[in-house]
Amino acid sequence: MIRVGIPRALLYYQYLPMWKTFFEELGAEVIVSPATTQTLLAAGSSRVVADTCLPAKVFMGHVLSLADKCDFIFIPAIRSLKSKSYNCSKFLGLPDMTRAVIPESPPILEIDIDINKGRRQLYQAIYKLGRRFTWNPFRVKRAATAAWQAHLSYRQLMSTQGLTPPQAIENISGTSVAEPRTPPDSTSPAQATIGLIGHAYLLYDEHINYQIVQRLQQSGNMVLTPEMLGRHELELAVARTVGTAYWTYEEDVVGAGSYYLHNSTDGVIGIMAFGCGPDSLMMDMIHRQANRLKTTPFMCLTLEEHTSEAGVITRLEAFLDMIYRRKRRREEVCV
Amino acid sequence: MRVGMPHMGNIYIPFKAMFDRLKVDFVMPPISNQRTLSLGARYSPEGLCIPFKMTLGNLIEAAELGANTMLMPGGYGICRLGYYTRIQEQVLRDLGYDVEIVQLGVSEHKFLGILNLIKRVSNNASLPKIVSAFRFGLAKLNALDKIERMVQKVRPVEVVKGMANQLYTRAVDAIEQADDYNALKKVKKDYVTRLKQVNIDNQIKPLIVGITGEFYVLLEPFSSFDVERELGKLGVEVRRTVFASEWTKFSFFLNPLGINEKDRIHRAALPYLKRDVGGDGWESVGEKVLHAKEYDGIVHLAPFTCMPEIIAQNIMPSTRERIPVLTILCDEQIAKPGVLTRLEAFVDLLERKRRASSSNRQQVNA
Repeated sequence: MIRVGIPRALLYYQYLPMWKTFFEELGAEVIVSPATTQTLLAAGSSRVVADTCLPAKVFMGHVLSLADKCDFIFIPAIRSLKSKSYNCSKFLGLPDMTRAVIPESPPILEIDIDINKGRRQLYQAIYKLGRRFTWNPFRVKRAATAAWQAHLSYRQLMSTQGLTPPQAIENISGTSVAEPRTPPDSTSPAQATIGLIGHAYLLYDEHINYQIVQRLQQSGNMVLTPEMLGRHELELAVARTVGTAYWTYEEDVVGAGSYYLHNSTDGVIGIMAFGCGPDSLMMDMIHRQANRLKTTPFMCLTLEEHTSEAGVITRLEAFLDMIYRRKRRREEVCV
Repeated sequence: MRVGMPHMGNIYIPFKAMFDRLKVDFVMPPISNQRTLSLGARYSPEGLCIPFKMTLGNLIEAAELGANTMLMPGGYGICRLGYYTRIQEQVLRDLGYDVEIVQLGVSEHKFLGILNLIKRVSNNASLPKIVSAFRFGLAKLNALDKIERMVQKVRPVEVVKGMANQLYTRAVDAIEQADDYNALKKVKKDYVTRLKQVNIDNQIKPLIVGITGEFYVLLEPFSSFDVERELGKLGVEVRRTVFASEWTKFSFFLNPLGINEKDRIHRAALPYLKRDVGGDGWESVGEKVLHAKEYDGIVHLAPFTCMPEIIAQNIMPSTRERIPVLTILCDEQIAKPGVLTRLEAFVDLLERKRRASSSNRQQVNA
């Protein structure tokens, strides 16, 4: 059986069920790399130039950890998913960059996705990817349809049940149906509702963000992430803030940020990687919006290899204290 | 309507000529300097690249002088450049300037886009008038680039150091002053002959260093620490493919006809980078591959945190075509002496490499 490796980084959190279904339908075995660790990150960042962004370094680490465990590594080059809105260069150059910095990696399965080139090109790209496994175009089509269905139900699972991507992935694969790690405690009301915005690969990689989601939940807060909003709400919020979207994954930051700033959260925390091109502008948009609105506190945490856990915790505690105090004062006024 | 625009090297000269002819009220901000950069860096979001900071500084300085309509490149693409205007407008508004930024949507609308834009800022001047003004601007741009090319050749081999630079500064002024085709032609001819008369040392075979990288830092000497001049001082001949006049010629007139000057560069990059990654990343890789035999070394200029250039920087060391590459990241934090030291070390390395290869050849011949 052909083994296809999928690195647990970058777009993994958005598309794993889709990719997995596709390759399994075509008769391949899918191997996902283990969760990020310090050694893995160090190995990844030793391969690339210093100012490559943190998520890309993590990605290289995952590729390295898969290098001797599979026959192919799947790295898509996603250029655009909507007309006239493009993706960050890193995603485009990812297959080529991986090949250049990790020469020992197994052959890379790449697919060019560019909606601006039209449907025909997209279907051809999918078929080209499927060709590695079967000559039969109908089988590829069946696999692609199944993959798309899996993707839709994955998204729905997140937006209707309020699950985070890792929880939803576990739910789908049935590894831990027993208990979601931190169930929102329904008996006591949450201390505060915190909107957490940023790209999925930063919010859910527990190693690089120092378990920010769990930390917030453990101190009794309800955490809302971009995935918990529907497509429509996100698009509306993006349109309200910036008009037409410029980058593909803009809704994670601008859409969700603007939505949570306007809608009944007690505070919004933005997470970005140092040197991230799109986020340097988009987080600033949200920052400015928060300054203008003056209703919801906003904090932006910038992550990189040199970020220290203590620093993140201190800032988080200070931010939460400020929010609690604000809430208390408001309640006193009401009474 | 008082029009302002950011600087990029000498690009203000053709624009000024054009606006003078169309009687547009043009406010030129001071030539990019330390204050521009400090202003820009102070008011931009921290993670942004130097082209954003410099252009923001220019726009603030133009606004201080009373400009209320700013021309800025923008539009759709992969690099952040297309998004600049949205943030810059907000920054300027937050600073209390009531300005409107007009996007030069050059990547989508090409020549028609720029014509429409000029029409808008010039109170609906007639189309023939605009075209004739544009032609004159273009003539100035071509003259500037022609002189600059010659200066690049003369700089490393002149006997009295600094002559070429002096002539260049004077030529730029003279071209700016010239107000019709005849005067421009005369100035051009005059300085071409003067540059030819500069005393040069025919014995010297200068090292050849290609300069590649991101468009803005290549064309704005202040942002890239005047790397070309400094290399010239060290006796190195600089080759650069990016010129504003070439860019205008191709992207306005020839690309729509299907002629792409970069095809050759892209094809060279293909084995290592299969697709456009936005900005000039693809070209940087391609130029290294293409010129590996021709040049002695390459200086790769990139703004700090520039996404496409980071991709290029990661890919460049893995090419089979070997040639020394020095990447210089441009940022407001970097000091010129540091850059000079690195350039000197790089040139030393290239010289040693050349000596070693020539002595090898002699041994083979003996």
